[in-house]
Amino acid sequence: MRVLKFGWEFPPSKNGGLGVACFGLTRELLQNGVEVIFVLPKTQETRGNARFIFADEERLLKVLHTDVTPGPYQQSDSTVDVIVGYNEDGTPIIKSRTIIEEVHRFAHQASIIAREESFDVIHAHDWTSYLAGVAAKIVSGKKLVLHVHATSFDQAAGQNVDLSIYKIEKEAFAMADKVVTVSGYTKNIIVHKHQVPADKVEVVHNGCDSFEPQKHPPALAELKRQGKKIVLYHGRISIQKGVDYFVRAARKVVDNDPNVIFVVSGWGDMKSQVIDLVGAMGLSKHVLFAGALWEEDRDRMYQAADLVVMPSVSEPFGLVPLEALQHGTPSVITQQSGVAEVLTHTLKVDFWDVDEMANKILSSLRYPAIRSQMVTEGRQQLEKMSWKLAAEKVKRLYHNLLQYVTT
Amino acid sequence: MLTVCPYFHVHQPYRIKNYRVFDIGNDNEYFNDNSETDLNNRKIVEKVAEKSYRPTNKILKELLDNHPEFRFNLSFSGTVLDQFEAYAPDVLASFQELVATGRVEILADTYHHSLAFFYSVPEFKRQVQKHERRIKQLFGVKPRVFRNTELSYRNDLAKWCEDNGYIGIMAEGWDKYLGWRSPNYLYRPAGCKKIKVLLKNYKLSDDIAFRFGNKEWSSWPLNAETYADWIHSHHGDGETVNLFMDYESFGEHQWEDTGIFNFLRAMPEMVLRHPDTSFKTATETAESYEPTGEYDVPDVLTWADTDRDLTAWTGNEIQRDALNAIYYMEEDVMKTKKRDLIETWRKLQTSDHFYYMCTKWSNDGDVHAYFSPYQSPYDAYISFMNALSDLQLRVSQAVTEREQKKLAEDDTLIEKEGEKKETVTKTEKPDTVEIKETIPKATNWWNKILQKIPFLKL
Repeated sequence: MRVLKFGWEFPPSKNGGLGVACFGLTRELLQNGVEVIFVLPKTQETRGNARFIFADEERLLKVLHTDVTPGPYQQSDSTVDVIVGYNEDGTPIIKSRTIIEEVHRFAHQASIIAREESFDVIHAHDWTSYLAGVAAKIVSGKKLVLHVHATSFDQAAGQNVDLSIYKIEKEAFAMADKVVTVSGYTKNIIVHKHQVPADKVEVVHNGCDSFEPQKHPPALAELKRQGKKIVLYHGRISIQKGVDYFVRAARKVVDNDPNVIFVVSGWGDMKSQVIDLVGAMGLSKHVLFAGALWEEDRDRMYQAADLVVMPSVSEPFGLVPLEALQHGTPSVITQQSGVAEVLTHTLKVDFWDVDEMANKILSSLRYPAIRSQMVTEGRQQLEKMSWKLAAEKVKRLYHNLLQYVTT
Repeated sequence: MLTVCPYFHVHQPYRIKNYRVFDIGNDNEYFNDNSETDLNNRKIVEKVAEKSYRPTNKILKELLDNHPEFRFNLSFSGTVLDQFEAYAPDVLASFQELVATGRVEILADTYHHSLAFFYSVPEFKRQVQKHERRIKQLFGVKPRVFRNTELSYRNDLAKWCEDNGYIGIMAEGWDKYLGWRSPNYLYRPAGCKKIKVLLKNYKLSDDIAFRFGNKEWSSWPLNAETYADWIHSHHGDGETVNLFMDYESFGEHQWEDTGIFNFLRAMPEMVLRHPDTSFKTATETAESYEPTGEYDVPDVLTWADTDRDLTAWTGNEIQRDALNAIYYMEEDVMKTKKRDLIETWRKLQTSDHFYYMCTKWSNDGDVHAYFSPYQSPYDAYISFMNALSDLQLRVSQAVTEREQKKLAEDDTLIEKEGEKKETVTKTEKPDTVEIKETIPKATNWWNKILQKIPFLKL
C-alpha cells in the first residue's frame, strides 16, 4: 500500500506539534509496511525514511525559495515575503503573498505531483494541505483522508473565526472520504461547526515517543538555588493558547506565595499584549520571557520547571504536558484540550477558571507528593500512548477505504 | 442445623468540599458543600434515604413482623448516624424501631469509619469507645461483636478485640488464608484464646451486593428461591452462612428496577422453608458454634477488590502522604483538648477520603470500579490537604494559646508567690521580669505557627 501524504512542516525544522505528529505517524506507518510519499511545500532538511517530494522543486518555475515558511496557524491574510526571482545584478525580487495564496499554489503543485506519482490513498495533514489533498483526489480519483490537527475555531479561540480558512475546511471536509481528528474534542468541533457527519470522522489520538531524556544542566540555576519554584508555559503566544489566563492565575499565585517564578517560553502575535498585561498586573519581577526555546534549551527548561501549565482556550491535542512528563515535570492543563482525554495523571481546569488554575498551581507546589505521583504514574501511561498504536489505527482506516473501492 | 447471619453495613462519610489554598486560614467549614454536585452531604443523604434507607427499612420491618425467626445485624458508622440526625431523623427512628425488636444486633465499629487501628491504636480505641457510647445513647444496646472499617482485619486486631471483651469479630473468608477450608464455620484467630472469627461467604454475599443486577451474569436474573437453594446446599458442610454487605446494596448500588427489593422481601421465607435452617445474630452465632480451626492473617485483609487488601486506600503516594499527614498531627490535636478540633480531625480520618484518591483504576482503565464525587483522585487529594492545612493552623494556634495560658497561670502563680515573698522579704523585682517574659513569648507564638505552615506568609 502506498500513501501520498501532504503536509506543511516536518522535522527537523523548528515547528510545532504538526511536524512532530507527521513525523511520528509517518515513521510508524513505514514500520507497518505502508509506503509513504511525503509532499512538503518547500525544500527542507528532513528526517526518516519516507520519500520526500518538495513542491518547489523542478516543477516550480518561478519560486526559488521563501524566506519564511508561513506557519500553518497564521490568519489567512498574514503575508510572507517570497523571493520570486533575481534581478540581473543578483538582488532578489521579493513579493508578498498571503498564506491563502500559498495554499492554493500548493494545491496546484499537488495536482501535478498526483498525476506523476502512483499511489493508493491520499492523506493530507492540517488545513494548509487540505486543498492539495482535494486537488490530488480530483486528478487521481483516489480516496482522500483529511487529518485535522487544528481548526479555525481553535486558532481564533472561538472569536472572529477566519472565514476564508473556515471555508476551505468546510469544503474540503465535504470532499474527503474520511476525516481523522486528533481528539474527541476536535471531532466534536467539526461535527458541530462544520456539519461533518459524525460517522465520517474517526478519532486517532496523537502518540508520544517515550524515551529516557538526556539530563542537561538545569536552566535558571540561580533562581533554583534561591529556592524559587518555577512554573513554565511553553508554546506560541496567541489567543488560542490562553497565556493571558496564565498571567492572571500567576497574579493570584504570587499573592499567596511570592516565591514562585513564572516563565513564558515562546513567541507569537500576542506577545506584546501579554508583556503589557504582565506589567499592568505588577508581575514584572515574577514573570520571565525566555523567547522561543528549541531542542536542548527547551529540554533544560522542562527539566528546571517544577510545574508546566498548558492554559489553552482550545487545544485539539496538546503535546506539551506529554513532553514535560518525559522530562519528569507534571502539568496543569485545561479541560478544553484533546490530551485531557488520554492523560489522567495531570491536573485539569477550565481555562476561564483562573481561581482554580491558581489553586491547582499552588496546591501542587505545596504538596510534593502529588507532583511526584503524577510523574511516576503519568510516565507509565505515556508508554502506552505510542505512535505505533496511532499508525495501526490509520492503516486499518486505509484498508477499510480501499476495501470499499474494490467491492 | 444451618443458620444464616446477615450483616448490613450503613455508612456515609463527610465529603470535603472543593477547598482551595485561598480558603486556608479563612474558612473552617470543610464539609458544608451546598452545590448540586455529589460533594453535598445533605443532598446525598437525602437521596440515599429516598432510594435505599426508607424503602429497605420498611421491608426489613415487615420481614421481622412476619417471620419471628428472622434476624440480622447492622453496623453504623458514627458519621452516618450524625448525618441521619441532622438530615433525615425519620430514617434514624426507623432503624431504632428495627433494633427495638430485639432481633437486630448492632456491631461494634470505629466512630469515624477510619483505618486508625493500622496507624494509631490509642486513637483507634478512643473511636471505638466513642462509637459504643453513641450506640448506647441511640439504641440502648452494647455491641459484643466487632467489625472494622472495610472489614479490614489482622491477627493483632482480633487480639485487641479479645483483650477488650468482644466475643466475636468479622473478617473476609479469603481463600489465601482459608486454603481448602470452608468459610461456613467459626475459626479461632491466631494468637487468641476466646474470641471467634465469623467469615464472610464472599461468593453468596457478592451475588447480592455486586452481581445481582448484572445482566451479563450467568445467573441473572436471580430469584430468592434459587438463592435459598444455594444457601441450603451448604447443609452438611457448614454451620453458618455469613452474608456481609453494604446496606446501600439495597436500592443504591442495586437500583429498585433490578428487582432487589422483591428479592429481599422473599428471601427470608425461602430460606426458612427448608427445615433445620434459620437465622442468627452475630452474638448468637458466636455463642452457638465452636471454632473448627485457626484463622491466621498476618497481613491486612479487607473485603475490597480482587486483592482483598488496603491498596485502594493506601496504594499510591498521595494516599500515603495524606494518611501520614493526618496521623502525624495526633499528639498536637489531642493536646488542644478542643472538642471541635478533635472531631474535625477525626472526620478527616474517614477512609472514604483516601479511597477517592485511588488511582488503581487509571491503570486498568476501569473508571467505574471506583466511585468518587471528585473529578479526579488529584482533586480529592488537593481538597483534603488544603483542609488539613487549615486544621493544622487551627491546632497550632490552639496549642500555643493553651501553652500561653498555662505560662500565664504559672506567672500569676509565681507572681503570687513573689507577692507573698514580697510581703515577707520586701524585695523590688517582679515588675521588670514580667515584661521581659511576655514579649519573647508573643514572637515565639507566631514563629511556631510559621514553622508549622511554611507556606503561610503573613
